[in-house]
Amino acid sequence: MITIDHVSQVFQTSGRQSHLALSDISLTIEEGSFVSILGPSGCGKSTLLYIVGGFVNPTQGVATVKGRTITGPGPDRGPVFQEFALFPWKTVLGNVMYGPRQQGVKSAAAEAQARTLIEMVGLKGYENFYPKELSGGMKQRVALARTLAYHPAVLLMDEPFGALDAHTRTRLQNDLLNIWERDRKTVLFVTHSVEEAVFLSDKVVVMTRSPGRIKQVVDIDLSRPRRRAELLLDPRYQKYVVDIERMIDDTSEDELRP
Amino acid sequence: MIAGRALLSRFAPLLACLGLLAIWQAAALILQTDSFPTALEAIRAVPSILGDKESLINILASLRRMAIGFSVAVAVSIPLGLMMGRNRYVASFFNPLLMITYPVPKAALMPIIMLWLGVGDLAKLLVIFLGVSLPVIYHSFQGARAVEEKMLWSGAAMGLSAAQRMIRIVLPAALPEILTGCRTGLVLALITMVTSEMIARQSGAGNILFNALDMGQYETVYAMIIVIGAMGIGLDAAFEKLRSRLVKWSEPGFDIPLSFA
Repeated sequence: MITIDHVSQVFQTSGRQSHLALSDISLTIEEGSFVSILGPSGCGKSTLLYIVGGFVNPTQGVATVKGRTITGPGPDRGPVFQEFALFPWKTVLGNVMYGPRQQGVKSAAAEAQARTLIEMVGLKGYENFYPKELSGGMKQRVALARTLAYHPAVLLMDEPFGALDAHTRTRLQNDLLNIWERDRKTVLFVTHSVEEAVFLSDKVVVMTRSPGRIKQVVDIDLSRPRRRAELLLDPRYQKYVVDIERMIDDTSEDELRP
Repeated sequence: MIAGRALLSRFAPLLACLGLLAIWQAAALILQTDSFPTALEAIRAVPSILGDKESLINILASLRRMAIGFSVAVAVSIPLGLMMGRNRYVASFFNPLLMITYPVPKAALMPIIMLWLGVGDLAKLLVIFLGVSLPVIYHSFQGARAVEEKMLWSGAAMGLSAAQRMIRIVLPAALPEILTGCRTGLVLALITMVTSEMIARQSGAGNILFNALDMGQYETVYAMIIVIGAMGIGLDAAFEKLRSRLVKWSEPGFDIPLSFA
């Protein structure tokens, strides 16, 4: 379980000005749930994820994971970034084995497990390829496998499909849900796509822009496992999408008002 | 036609060399000056240098100094450059020092260094060290600075400590850039080696060259330039081969013949 308790984040910008990126955020994420943070760009949603990851220290407030205050990164929270951030000097296999090897897993065991994961993300046959030889979608599959390999309790996904084309994005969403169904890890998923958030999540946290505040938390009450074709035709799914889009439109209008 | 083009691009470096030699030969024949021997005369003098035991000892002494100066410089400069690239305070301390020393020709420091350290190996090693370190520090610095933050975060999440991230992420990620610096450094090592021997004449390839010049043995002068040039080309080609093997993962899909390798 993750708790975020009255967290605010101030960034120093050039010219000695400060920018309030997150303002008084409180949120609880239950174990095994898939939670999306949704908001316009610049609303601080990635910053919130980085705070949970321990990559950024909040200016105020605390975040905890399983009751322990987060003070830095750790293998219990595995990030997947929009930029993939693969190790380019390692092959696909080398990337996926990296975390377990670091944690002292024997080479043979780490390799066997990595091969299983690579097959699970649909990249069997690409074990000895280098990242530069792969497409964006394939790189993100490797990044997901690399993070899953060290068994984090929480997956932190920072707009993971944001850099991909629509078709690849859809396929990766489907595959992510299939993989998630197997062990139902806690997932914190940052996105600016309403459809993506509703399709994947149990809970969608809608944020306002600048300073980032939580506007509303929407529970997505749609049965699992979810199938895209069925869901797109489901009026309840469509209502969630329309409702949340309205919320976001309202926040944009707020900004336009003086 | 395609085979012909492939053949042409394969032998282009060789053709360029032959062309240069032909121009040299023609120019020397036209000018007819004592101090400008023809290409063929110079080439004919090469075996007599390489066959002479005294000259070989001199050349090997040069290469030894160059190897030591280069190795020590690389061993110091890579860690320094990487730390500068990842730590603002280290960078702001060393950057001004580098900015000041960068434009100074290292050979110009030779007289002062000779005053302190004499005309022996130590003075020459120091000049080579200074010549090599700057490009290696600079490229290591740039390489380390360009390492993606998210790559380091990924490593931190796997449990790598700050020191481990430096050695196991920053170093390999910056390696292509570091090796580019080392390649420049290697050529500079050769240049500073020859110039140091030219100023502090005692032994070495530069010593042979300038002694021959004093004695008016122009064939030997030019032959020595050929020998030093060939050493440079050989070292650079060997290094390039090593480099492209080490950073195969970062090479773009096409290649232009950048060296004779």
